Amino acid sequence: MGGSQSVFSEQELSDYQELTYFTKKEILHVFKRFQTLDPDSVERDKNAKLNRETILKLPELQVNPFNDRITTVFSSAGDGCMTFEDFLDMMSVFSDNAPKNVKVEYAFRIYDFDEDDVISGKDLREVINRLTGEQALNDEEMEQLIQNILEEADLDDDDSLSFAEFEHVISKAPDFINSFRIRL
Amino acid sequence: MAGYGNGYGPSGQGQDIPMQDRSHFNPAYRDDSLQRDRVAVDMEGIRMEERRGSDGSREYCPEGSTRRRWAATAEPRDTADLINALPSRQLEQIASGVAAKESIRRRKSSRRSIHGTLRAARGKDANEVADSFTRNDDYMDELDGEARTTETLRRMVLPMHDKLSIKRTTSETRKQMTLKRGQTHKKIGWWKRTKYSIGISWMHFKHRMAEFAYSLELWRSHMKKIEGHFGTGVTSYFLFLKWLFLLNIPVFTLTLGFVVVPQILYRYNIKVPSGYGFSVNETSVSFTGEELLTGGNWFNNTELYYGFYTDQVIEIPVNSTTSYNMKYAYLFTCGGYYILCLITLAISISQSYKMNYIEGSGTHTFYNVSRVFCGWDYNITDKAAARLKHKSFYNEMKEYLSGSKKKSHKKNMEERCKLLFLRVLTNLLILGSIAGLSYLVFWISGSGTLKGSVYILSDLALSLCVSAIFLVFPPIFSKIAQFEKYEEPKNELYINMIRTMLLKTCVLGILVYFWFTDTAKDKYSCWETAVGSEIYRLVLVDFFFILGATFFLEFLRRICGQYCCNKGNEEQEGQAMGPEFDIGRNTLDLIYSQALCWLGTFYSPLLSLVMMVKLFIIFYVKMVSVLQNCQPSLRPWRAAKSHTIFMGFLFFFFLMAMVAVAVGVIIIEPSKVCGPFRGEEKAYSIVTNLIDSWKGDLKVLHDIINFISSPGSIASILVALCVGTYYMRIVMIGHKEMVTLLRQQLHMEGRDKAYLLRMLQDVSQKKKEKLGPSNVNRLLSPTSNSTLEAGQRTAGRRVFARTAADTVATMAPGNTRMRNLNGVLR
Repeated sequence: MGGSQSVFSEQELSDYQELTYFTKKEILHVFKRFQTLDPDSVERDKNAKLNRETILKLPELQVNPFNDRITTVFSSAGDGCMTFEDFLDMMSVFSDNAPKNVKVEYAFRIYDFDEDDVISGKDLREVINRLTGEQALNDEEMEQLIQNILEEADLDDDDSLSFAEFEHVISKAPDFINSFRIRL
Repeated sequence: MAGYGNGYGPSGQGQDIPMQDRSHFNPAYRDDSLQRDRVAVDMEGIRMEERRGSDGSREYCPEGSTRRRWAATAEPRDTADLINALPSRQLEQIASGVAAKESIRRRKSSRRSIHGTLRAARGKDANEVADSFTRNDDYMDELDGEARTTETLRRMVLPMHDKLSIKRTTSETRKQMTLKRGQTHKKIGWWKRTKYSIGISWMHFKHRMAEFAYSLELWRSHMKKIEGHFGTGVTSYFLFLKWLFLLNIPVFTLTLGFVVVPQILYRYNIKVPSGYGFSVNETSVSFTGEELLTGGNWFNNTELYYGFYTDQVIEIPVNSTTSYNMKYAYLFTCGGYYILCLITLAISISQSYKMNYIEGSGTHTFYNVSRVFCGWDYNITDKAAARLKHKSFYNEMKEYLSGSKKKSHKKNMEERCKLLFLRVLTNLLILGSIAGLSYLVFWISGSGTLKGSVYILSDLALSLCVSAIFLVFPPIFSKIAQFEKYEEPKNELYINMIRTMLLKTCVLGILVYFWFTDTAKDKYSCWETAVGSEIYRLVLVDFFFILGATFFLEFLRRICGQYCCNKGNEEQEGQAMGPEFDIGRNTLDLIYSQALCWLGTFYSPLLSLVMMVKLFIIFYVKMVSVLQNCQPSLRPWRAAKSHTIFMGFLFFFFLMAMVAVAVGVIIIEPSKVCGPFRGEEKAYSIVTNLIDSWKGDLKVLHDIINFISSPGSIASILVALCVGTYYMRIVMIGHKEMVTLLRQQLHMEGRDKAYLLRMLQDVSQKKKEKLGPSNVNRLLSPTSNSTLEAGQRTAGRRVFARTAADTVATMAPGNTRMRNLNGVLR
């Protein structure tokens, strides 16, 4: 840990601390995990851009069915490559201290597969398919489930969930905070 | 999957896409977070996707819903412009609304939803955002501005790189503005500067505390391993264990500091009572190993038990005027840690209840949404656990969807009567068995005739019997509950837990009653020590039973499962075979142990230390057992709601323990030959004597206390509390009705918005046809939007709507108004 401490200046560390939900020690810990993904590139340049496959080697992301969406949403270039700052941003949102509304916002982005700022029926279908894994619900059950969801959540009847509707229902779900969390 | 969002290829021409292709895709709320060029290319990508997609997706939008597809006819670009021009998307308004609430002294994270701020940053680049910050005075304030900026930035959805650059830009601008301001205006007052520096140092202190707490955190790596394999359900048990362990630490330090250490020092200095190994009658008792099990004999004359403590007023040798009154110390320490536990528990349970029940309920339970969107536990890192989680989700959804179809089977009268009769019967059976077991316990503790040849066992008979009852009967109760055919498994779980708790409460109640009545006291000269040692034995035997249950139920079952039963199951190779970890039963065991500890700490001050050691060992044993033997459960465990219920049980047991000890202190007469309260009529009388002694010097205090404790004032306080509770309930009912009304209103507003936007779409469509394709897309571009924007900044929706309606009105009648159009808009 002493080695990584000299990588960041004091100013950088305190900037990171103010702009994320981490303490300084946690930031250094996150950097250590980032470094283990590809030690050579990070040695050369601490702001190295690691491509998506390297990032997905992280055990916490490997088994996650939404890992490609997560890397896309948090990558500043939009193509899944992440620098350390993107990685830190991601871990900060998934940490314990991030407030609920930040998590809800990012969850909305992750589940919005076609990035049209609403979660439409197609997005829901994709989410459910990814959640069931190798097994798949048949079409009739899928339709029923999607209808149920829209019935519960869609307030203005446009067959899709806008952010306001999504936030409205997800804030009422007490398990959201516990499940939408990655600890390093 | 690969088709989504991957249309980031070379920017192409926007093309008119025929309407039916867009029937599934609602560009209504599209904003230009993607660049303008990419909009068209995405449409291509999605069109391609649709050709590949299944036919089922196109039937998704039913025919009769054309009113919902209001934007399907329009170019997405215009729609995006329209949406972006809405007041709710303007950064300045939202930012100023947030800034007013933030200041360096009130930086607790506001639970208010400020998603407007987060969302408004989409699609704008860093410079625009920085500009909007600099335009706002609150963010440019000399002292608070930095903090407010970083706080707002932290919550914004922007890449970190952008946030850093915005931060630097704004702080430079702020410095310049401060310099300029310093030359023209007077300086900031002294008071404001002091407040600011206090706020800064408080913030730094909090950061340092957070770092310190991070480095101290107990068992973090172990928790992470368990979380990775099992998810949040099993982890909640271990978190509860950790919480209990941490709760016992202040209790122990208080008793150590105020009661045990003075006693040791006193005995060391004055040698009264005499050292360990000598009983009250000066006969020597040596330490043999079996005392650890029975907690008697040698331990009777150590600090472990109440009886050993002196009742003297200890003179402190350093300064002869001050003295340490052991009686007050003992009683007030006891009161102190009970109050501490009470406050901690009350805060904890109220927070948990608020988070999980109040915010989580309301008029609707969003079952489907929360199952799907909170369905994946992001903590899981293990492949086998992930596979199980997928299967569990699939099973749950299948079960739910098939169950909702069968819901229409209503029971007729006969079935309902039968079920009612069955339930009454089982409840009677269970209550009867609880009563019978309580009587059994009473008889055993009373008779004491179970003396066998092995000396230890007769002492331990009661504890063994109690623990055996708690091991055997709750599973029997849950088997009985299966006959009652509850509709929801959740209800069955709760009923089982309530019955188990009832059993434990009754047994403990009977024991306490026995100890406090005359039948117990005649046998012993020092009954408090006897009670203390009995509780010690209960705690110890409970510990052994937990270890034994872990061994037998988890380890042996896994061995059996591996070697005996599953030789032919090839498809289950590679999966851990084993039992599931029973979270409910284990947590209830923990709650029972903690209740024993609370009951016994008054009579055995070092019991909290015993409890801490016990919890520590149980953590490691259970962790190893879970990781080696158990497999993750297929059924989902609702950790959040269950946590509230367990806290409720814990609180209930705490209140019972506190009441029991209070009865022992206030009503029961202490024994005459041992303990700090020997010779007093009641242990509580020292408090009354103390208050009476104030009659001379501190008459005011005496009178106040007398007044408060008089029946009249206590009754009036109770009445006031009841009125307050009733008021809260009325307010809650009012709020619920308000929520329903607001939902309806929201529904209507959504349709209003769709209607208005559709009108604007028509207008822009018509104008586009007239202006031709060359001048096609800047109808509502930002440069021509000044009227609209001005309206938004000052007023709200009404001005926007009126302006929009005016625009429509001028458009609608004729087609000769092209030239006037620009005039209107400018």
